[in-house]
Amino acid sequence: MKARLDLEESFRIALGSLRANKARGTLTTLGIIIGIVAVILTMTAAHGLQNTFRQSFSAVGADVIYVSRMPWVVMNDFFLYRNRPGLELRQADLLASKLRGRAIVNPSIGGQRDLKYRSATMEGVTIIGTTERQTLVSTAQPELGRFITDYDVTRRKNVCVIGTDVRDGLFGDAAAVNQELKIGRTTFRVIGVMEKQGGAFLGGPNFDRQVFVPITSYVKAFGGDRRQQNVDVAVKAPSHEAVAALEFEVIGEMRKIRQLRPAEADNFSINKLDTLVGAFDNIMGVVLLVGLLITGISLFVGGVGVMNIMFVSVTERTREIGIRKAIGAKPHSILFQFLFEAAAICLMGGLIGVVVASVLTAVVNATVMPASVSIPILLIAVLVAIGVGVAAGFLPAWRGARLNPIDALRYE
Amino acid sequence: MGQPISSSPATAGRIALSLRDVVKTYVMGADEVHALRGVSLDVATNEYVAIMGASGSGKSTLMNVIGCLDVPTSGTYSLEGQPVAGMSEYQLAEIRNQRIGFVFQTFNLIPRSNVFHNVELPLIYAGVPRAQRRPRVEDAIARVGLTNRMRHKPNELSGGQRQRVAIARALVGQPSIILADEPTGNLDSKTGDEIMAVLDELHQAGQTILLVTHETYIARHALRIVRLRDGMIESDDAVPAGSLAGQ
Ligand SMILES: Nc1ncnc2c1ncn2[C@@H]1O[C@H](COP(=O)(O)OP(=O)(O)OP(=O)(O)O)[C@@H](O)[C@H]1O
Ligand SMILES: [Mg+2]
Repeated sequence: MKARLDLEESFRIALGSLRANKARGTLTTLGIIIGIVAVILTMTAAHGLQNTFRQSFSAVGADVIYVSRMPWVVMNDFFLYRNRPGLELRQADLLASKLRGRAIVNPSIGGQRDLKYRSATMEGVTIIGTTERQTLVSTAQPELGRFITDYDVTRRKNVCVIGTDVRDGLFGDAAAVNQELKIGRTTFRVIGVMEKQGGAFLGGPNFDRQVFVPITSYVKAFGGDRRQQNVDVAVKAPSHEAVAALEFEVIGEMRKIRQLRPAEADNFSINKLDTLVGAFDNIMGVVLLVGLLITGISLFVGGVGVMNIMFVSVTERTREIGIRKAIGAKPHSILFQFLFEAAAICLMGGLIGVVVASVLTAVVNATVMPASVSIPILLIAVLVAIGVGVAAGFLPAWRGARLNPIDALRYE
Repeated sequence: MGQPISSSPATAGRIALSLRDVVKTYVMGADEVHALRGVSLDVATNEYVAIMGASGSGKSTLMNVIGCLDVPTSGTYSLEGQPVAGMSEYQLAEIRNQRIGFVFQTFNLIPRSNVFHNVELPLIYAGVPRAQRRPRVEDAIARVGLTNRMRHKPNELSGGQRQRVAIARALVGQPSIILADEPTGNLDSKTGDEIMAVLDELHQAGQTILLVTHETYIARHALRIVRLRDGMIESDDAVPAGSLAGQ
């Protein structure tokens, strides 16, 4: 009860002091504003990258493992994988027959080709040879028309299913289904358009700028020597829990297919969404750490500014502290008076920072890339601001609270 | 050293405060300033004591010790029978808050706060709930005749009015003693008389008052005069009612 009343008075004084020193308080908050804006932008950027990343790989299911020649994330051991043989379609079919009934296996093969439809052209579009099982291992489905069927694959039909970016690039607003386009020098008939995946991640794969064709047609049109084939095999487990066991099994089967001796290392790689997310999170962790370090420095500078102004405030009000002590203020009420003042200055800076950062984010969102601030980040920023205030105010406040009443009263 | 004399008929001799051989020495580098050199003094409740003496004789130092703003270098001081030595800063703050009412020569009001809030402060620090504070603050302000100035800031008041606010602030917490260190020192004689009339009234109502002054005509309001000289009590006399004290 007593303490509560004391705090009420401390709070009142702090606000009164801020009102009396508006200009000074505002200038002091500048450092805090900059720091808080930096904190919010760093966290928003990291958060945004993470979201974009998740979104752009959302078609890659968490219950699917991919058997490929190379790992998806190659750091600095590229030479270890360079001499591996490619995965042949024949080997993929063998794996599929071994796993029949226990998993869905879909081989695919990809390359870049130029597209042409009448006068419209697109260069370097990703062409993926696949089977009807593509729509089972990935969440992406056709939006218009239909997907490739078993019949298309066995009969090596020259049909294709295009992504939305390809549709927009070649056909504009006109209907694409049943039109014939050229992939490289071969003519393919459009049988479907995939739904939009969105969010190409920083130069990563754009899943909307793809064309699916039957894998057999792909080999026929672009394949060449089977020794140079390099197929990716998607293996979908019946459930997320079964992924680990399946992975083990796939490795065993692949070693048999590749006729590896026990002492030999795998000459293929198992890839999963988890691997990618893990690698990405590592990178994001470093980015966030560096970002927060830099923002930490700017907040520290802002905090030092607040500490300085609080020392001024305590010195200016030495006599007032003496008066308050003479009529019975306890050390803690003086301490809180100045802590509140420092926290209030920083809170003000924090709130202005929140507004500035929100505006900046909105501008970035409208011009550069999709970005949005999140409420938890703003809350964290405001709490950080208050924390800086309390930390910066403590030393000056402590000095005020410890003043001897007589000396304080005599202070001119 | 003179006998402590209780001149007021109301004092049945309950001890308000008691000092024994109080010494206060200020150390300033190599120098030592002996502000008080062994002061013993008893004051009973409802006494009205004037402390006089040349400048530098230790009057303010004595008041500060009595008001628990300062602690003696040696000797004992007890307030209402309770020794003050060894008390924590927190306990001293409580004593200043609840048992002492200070009136300073320079008023010492909080400049940004209005009259009401200045008078309310001791009650806030005492933890009195808001609803109970209001009537007590209004009563204290009424006793010094400033009811119509309640919402004014100190800088909108005359010196005399400011000192009245200070007195209201000193008495609002119903302290055991009011300590007034040259309360009229910054005022003209007419305004000084008005302030003394207020103090006289408080004394009539049973308040114990210690007053420091240089002016004989001010000291005359008290019923007992203690004279200090070089940090020691030179004389301690009752003032016969209605007479002029001293020379
Ligand atoms: N904080 C201090 N440090 C050093 N010396 C001090 C301090 N306070 C008081 N003194 C000295 O103690 C002595 C007594 O001072 P004090 O203020 O009690 O005198 P006073 O009787 O109130 O004088 P005045 O009538 O001028 O107010 C003086 O010599 C003064 O210089
Ligand atoms: Mg003095």
